[in-house]
Amino acid sequence: MTSEAPREEKEIKLANLKLIKKLWPFIRPYLWMLIVSTLLVFLVTFFELLMPLFTQKAIDGFIVPVKGSGLDLFGIEITSFQTFCLIFCGFILISFVIDFIQTFFMEYTGQKIILNLRCALFAHMTFLPVAFYDINSSGRMVSRVAGDIENMNEMFTSILIFIFKDLLLMIGILVILFTIDHTLTLYLSILIPVIGISVSMSSNILRRAFRTIRQKIAEINHSFSEAITGIKIIQTTSSRDRFMQRFETLNFEHFSAALFQIKIFSIFMPFIGFLGVLSVAIILWTGSSNVIKTTMTLGQLVVFLTYMKLFFRPLRELSEKFNLLQNALASAERIITVLNHDQAKQRVSKERTCIDTISSVTFDQVNFSYERNKRILKDISFHLPEGNAIGIVGQTGSGKSTIINLITGFYQPDHGNIFINHINYHAVNIRDIRNKTALVMQDPVLFSGSIRENIKPSGFDMTDSPLETALYNANCNFLFEKFSGLETVIKEGGRPLSSGEKQLVCIARAFAFNPDLIIFDEATSYMDSQSEQKVHDAMKKLMQGRLSIIIAHRLSTVKECDTIILLREGAIREKGSHQELVELKGEYYHLLKKEQI
Amino acid sequence: MIIVDVTQLVIPQIIKTAIDALKSTPFDSNTLLLKCMFIIFLGLVMAGLRYVWRNLLMGSARDVEKGIRDDLFKHVLNLDMAFLDTIKTGDIMAHAVSDINHIRMAFGFGLIVLVDTILLGGATFAIMLLTHPKLTALAMIPMPFLILVTRTLGKKMYRFHKTAQESFSILTELVRESFFGIRIIKVFNFETIVGQKVRGASTDYFKKNLKRAVITALLRPLLGLFFNLSTLVVIFYGGYLVMEQVLTPGELVAFLQYLGILAWPVIAIGWMTNLFQRGMASLKRINTLLDSTPDVTSPETPHPLSSVKGNIRFKNVGFAYGKGSPVLSDISVDIHPGTSVGITGPPGSGKTSLVQLIPRLYNTTKGTIYLDGLDLKTLDLDFLRQQVALMPQEAFLFSGTIKENILLGKPLDQKKLDRIINVCNLKETLEEMPDGLETLVGERGITLSGGQKQRVALARTLILEKPIIILDDPISQMDSHTAASVISKLGRMNLNATFIIISHRISALAACDSIFVLKEGRIDHFGTHEALIKTDRFYEHSYRVQQFEEEYDI
Repeated sequence: MTSEAPREEKEIKLANLKLIKKLWPFIRPYLWMLIVSTLLVFLVTFFELLMPLFTQKAIDGFIVPVKGSGLDLFGIEITSFQTFCLIFCGFILISFVIDFIQTFFMEYTGQKIILNLRCALFAHMTFLPVAFYDINSSGRMVSRVAGDIENMNEMFTSILIFIFKDLLLMIGILVILFTIDHTLTLYLSILIPVIGISVSMSSNILRRAFRTIRQKIAEINHSFSEAITGIKIIQTTSSRDRFMQRFETLNFEHFSAALFQIKIFSIFMPFIGFLGVLSVAIILWTGSSNVIKTTMTLGQLVVFLTYMKLFFRPLRELSEKFNLLQNALASAERIITVLNHDQAKQRVSKERTCIDTISSVTFDQVNFSYERNKRILKDISFHLPEGNAIGIVGQTGSGKSTIINLITGFYQPDHGNIFINHINYHAVNIRDIRNKTALVMQDPVLFSGSIRENIKPSGFDMTDSPLETALYNANCNFLFEKFSGLETVIKEGGRPLSSGEKQLVCIARAFAFNPDLIIFDEATSYMDSQSEQKVHDAMKKLMQGRLSIIIAHRLSTVKECDTIILLREGAIREKGSHQELVELKGEYYHLLKKEQI
Repeated sequence: MIIVDVTQLVIPQIIKTAIDALKSTPFDSNTLLLKCMFIIFLGLVMAGLRYVWRNLLMGSARDVEKGIRDDLFKHVLNLDMAFLDTIKTGDIMAHAVSDINHIRMAFGFGLIVLVDTILLGGATFAIMLLTHPKLTALAMIPMPFLILVTRTLGKKMYRFHKTAQESFSILTELVRESFFGIRIIKVFNFETIVGQKVRGASTDYFKKNLKRAVITALLRPLLGLFFNLSTLVVIFYGGYLVMEQVLTPGELVAFLQYLGILAWPVIAIGWMTNLFQRGMASLKRINTLLDSTPDVTSPETPHPLSSVKGNIRFKNVGFAYGKGSPVLSDISVDIHPGTSVGITGPPGSGKTSLVQLIPRLYNTTKGTIYLDGLDLKTLDLDFLRQQVALMPQEAFLFSGTIKENILLGKPLDQKKLDRIINVCNLKETLEEMPDGLETLVGERGITLSGGQKQRVALARTLILEKPIIILDDPISQMDSHTAASVISKLGRMNLNATFIIISHRISALAACDSIFVLKEGRIDHFGTHEALIKTDRFYEHSYRVQQFEEEYDI
């Protein structure tokens, strides 16, 4: 269903400068390493450049001596060909060692930058507002943290340094060529603007192709994630072929984008290669006439041609790297876009108040909508004083869960105010509120790991006994009877626990946090009457002296609350205690009667 | 590509003759010009051909990538639950993207490099051998070492790459799971903890990658070293030969030029080794996944069965997840065609496991299940699943519109759809939505409430009109009013099917022909509603509690 309309955010486009600016903080701590690495590259390059020079010296000095045997090597007179070769050998060994150190150093730096970038990106993402996750599916987001970062890996390792190195190498060669023969080098330099233009032209096209490729990869990730989660449905509704067909379409789109990229690149690379051959022909022609006019030695022409070969090899590699660079930048754009996404922002007023307990919650004419012109909550006002419990009932979709989204700061109200301890909650750190709030949701969410990891509050060194107490409070005896208690290892999707058991563990987690405010969002829906009864007992114990908000579709769950709010279409229809509402003989009373049918 | 490589070899030959011509007098500038023109012509041909083979080779690598990914997806769709329980979603995602990518690189670049190396290297070698066998032999002295080194390092690379990919899988899963449960992470301030976890997994990946990096960093310079040593040998020995006038300087220069051409294949070997080892390690991972043929498969010669009446019989059925302790034991049940069956029991008593055995999402560990008197295992799996409509406990919605979620690609029958929508009490809900049936629901249908999701999932199940309908806790998240309405409409609907429903709400079960109470994987009691109230303590208690609530409410 995804292939029909691309739901991955439109096209992500950012200027290169912006990208660099944003990536800079990640590169800076390792700048010295990059500089060392680059210095080593200098050395490696230097040695690489010396090699043909040695060959020339060997030819001109010994093999076809121009002026008697022997030569002058950096001021040292070498007369024996053997000695010369030994020195050559030494150079080769040194260049190997330096080359290795440089390559390793560079890999290390790159990986380290990537590591930090990945952690920073993930940390950033966990602090993004819930709204972000409502729009973007987890499968797609995973591809940012996993795939796209991986894709950038090469940018910090090979690409950055080698582009620098290859450019340097080319400049170095140009300088050497220049010292050998000025005019011939000038001929060569005509090529530079030609190369420049072709690079910038293909750069735009390639980037566009890579953007599409990365976006399709995210879609593919999403398809896999969704297919696995919904596998039972796919298999039992015989809709496998349909899903397969959809995936094939998507995969084909990815394939076409990739083919396009290949096509562009296949024009670009041979073009560079052709330039190389062309210049060889030109140099050979003009150089030969110089040799005839004896303005140039034969050795010089040979070495000129050799260096020219060396000039085109980095150019070829540079073009190859350039392709990777465009690929990496397309990923960088996707990562930076997420990093630029504002974290859950609080409209913070100037004076911030620290709270360590929550003693009351008040809604004052709160309005809210997820999308424009579709109001979910209308003028919601209620007060939850110390030690009280409030029950919220209403039809599915009447806005019950939205109230919770507001209290927990997942979303911010459009109008009106929410007060915590009579302080406007914009003035309170949302983390303080969450620290003292426990939430039990409709869908029990457990993470892979042990039960202990799942219920232990963060930042507390808690011994096992309070955790065990919490488990017993939530009727999780089964964990000790059927499984291995706190050590029970939960796998993906909460296996091996059944849905009801999962929910009980979630309730235990809420108990372990010892909150001031407990929110039960239809928490008892997966439970049978007996378990539910036990949980209700435990809840009652826990609710004493604490604030609680209970959302339920069954009136029996909330009837003991101090206040009951009946919501319909986002507005409060009735408010009062169970007794009051029954006497009112309004909607609540009506619902009560209907429930028994 | 072969032509390109040959052309590439011809050019030094022309240069050689040109240089030798320079030494000889008189000098003919016309031939030189001709030669230069020829070089340019060859350059053009090379460019054209390169374009073609690049397109062909890289294109086919992408084709391979596409093919493997399609296969993998298809395989995942066919995997059975028991197998999926043992692997993680993130792991499969890593396979589908990262590993396939490595394979493509090996196929594309690797193949180019391989062909290049063999052709260019081989041809150059042949020419060198023809020009001067002894010199060539000397130049090849480092070769055996090179092969040895490449092989040893290659094996290491393979191993390290595999461990790195495994680590990457773990990382992917961790990230996926965290994003999935983001609300809980936020409310319980788990952000730093998961951040640390991801940092841990990333660091592990970093370390394993670094191991690989050492090998990679060693390989390339090492190859360079061997190559440079070869050059040295050629200059040293070749120099002597020229001095002794056995070799012309032009020949030596050409020889060095050829050696220069060999530089690329030699460096390429390093590259290729890296790419191939990575590709092979990834291919191995993919193959392990693709080769996993789980337990639940169709028999080779399935029992032909044209229509199903809907008689389901469990005979001494036992079941356990993997090697775990039994979840169900000694279940024997006979469900007559067209009857309705209710199942209830405390959490963890095996209700969901029991019904999942019917469409063979899992195989039984003990005993046999019969459909119309035939062992399920003798029936074609696709056929069997076409007979069963199962609504799983978690109401999962795919991203797409509500309509797409109900139909799941089946042709639209508006009348039927309207009827089902009415039964599932979706009519009013849909009317409230501006886009109605076309409303988009996000991943997991996050914009819908739990009860709404359940009703969409119910509609999806009912519209299939299968001879066997199984609903696993279909009304747990609906408000009582909606639930009661849905249940009564379901009862009035002429299902014409064997109907199995799991619920905690006795009112949803009361109308069933027979009701089973499960307890710790066994059937504790069964019978009609009236009978169970008298015989089963759990049932009676549940009923009384729910009854009491209702009475108290009034």
